[in-house]
Amino acid sequence: MNSSLDHLSPTTSSARFSLPSKSTSASRPNIYERNLNKSRLSEVSAPSFSFLFSEIVQYTQKRVSGINDLERRLNTLGYRVGSRVLEITAYRAEFSSKAPKREIRLLPALMAIHTQVWRAVYGKPADAIEKSVENVDEYMIIDNDPLIERHISVPRDFAGLSCSSFSAGIVEAVLDGLGFPARVTAHHTPTSTYPTRTTILIKLEKSVLDREDILK
Amino acid sequence: MSHHLFILSPSDTPIYNLTYSSTKPTPTTISPLSSNLPTWSTSAFAGTLTALSGASSTTQHTTGGGVRIGGGQDRHVIQMIANASLDAVEDVMRKESTMYLKSVDKFNEWTVSAFITPGNTKFVLLHEAKNDEAIKSFFLEVWELYVKTMLNPFYSNQQMIRSSTFDTRVRTSAKKYL
Repeated sequence: MNSSLDHLSPTTSSARFSLPSKSTSASRPNIYERNLNKSRLSEVSAPSFSFLFSEIVQYTQKRVSGINDLERRLNTLGYRVGSRVLEITAYRAEFSSKAPKREIRLLPALMAIHTQVWRAVYGKPADAIEKSVENVDEYMIIDNDPLIERHISVPRDFAGLSCSSFSAGIVEAVLDGLGFPARVTAHHTPTSTYPTRTTILIKLEKSVLDREDILK
Repeated sequence: MSHHLFILSPSDTPIYNLTYSSTKPTPTTISPLSSNLPTWSTSAFAGTLTALSGASSTTQHTTGGGVRIGGGQDRHVIQMIANASLDAVEDVMRKESTMYLKSVDKFNEWTVSAFITPGNTKFVLLHEAKNDEAIKSFFLEVWELYVKTMLNPFYSNQQMIRSSTFDTRVRTSAKKYL
């Protein structure tokens, strides 16, 4: 038992995890002393991101009772990321401007998610943004090849699971922060050209639509 | 001249507050209401009433316990003004897309300015003198510090900000601009 625990512990198994040595982390400056724009253009390698996300999914899967629960938890994790993404992307875009602005209209906010947020998180804008024909309160953001699902193949008995629930959580946090509360879910909608195509479905609360009508 | 800063989370719970007294002189403001006010020193609510009416120049009352009241500088009056201004802030923030909302509310000698971050966290500042540009610069620095706090994975946006570095840094900015 003890030996197997040792194997999992990151401090003892140097083969699996490469941690920076203690001395470098001690000399690192406090977060308040670091410049927020410094890492603006730096990128994270896709394999390490995929590895991290695969660990997140595995970790979450061990602690849930079903697919819905798993999606909900991934959504919650994404929410935590999204609230930070919103704040930092807005900071980087607006800090130097004379009169920093927030998004108060729905459509520009959705466009900002489609381009700015997607670019900040996945390095490219999403592929499409659509308005539902049947329901006025539904919008869809479509990614033809989501980065986080590139190395994930969902088993047949998990039908309906979309790991992009994580992205849905990010979108939900951004909308919530900007004052457009919505329920956001992810759905796998494959086509023959794009087998991993995913639709992020945004269902807005009624109050949002009412407000948009007034602002019109 | 004092300033009061409150930071409120998206659900309006206070997560940080600061009272800062600058060395700059206070401009004398005379509230028309205060001069017409009768003396209610016998009433239990005298202090609060005087404070609410902005009678900062009237004589200080002392009640049984000898507590100094009145003058519009009472902690609970300040908090009430800040809380009351939230209504005005919420009205304006739906229409105005700027983050910095200058002088959204006024109460006697206090002017309330606010700053809304994209994530709907509100910075509310009570100040006496008009000083728009400096207050904007102050808010921007506080915003930067707030974003940095936010990025910490161990911080969730409902918690009090207890970091002493944050506090020191906000005080430094206050000294610089206010």
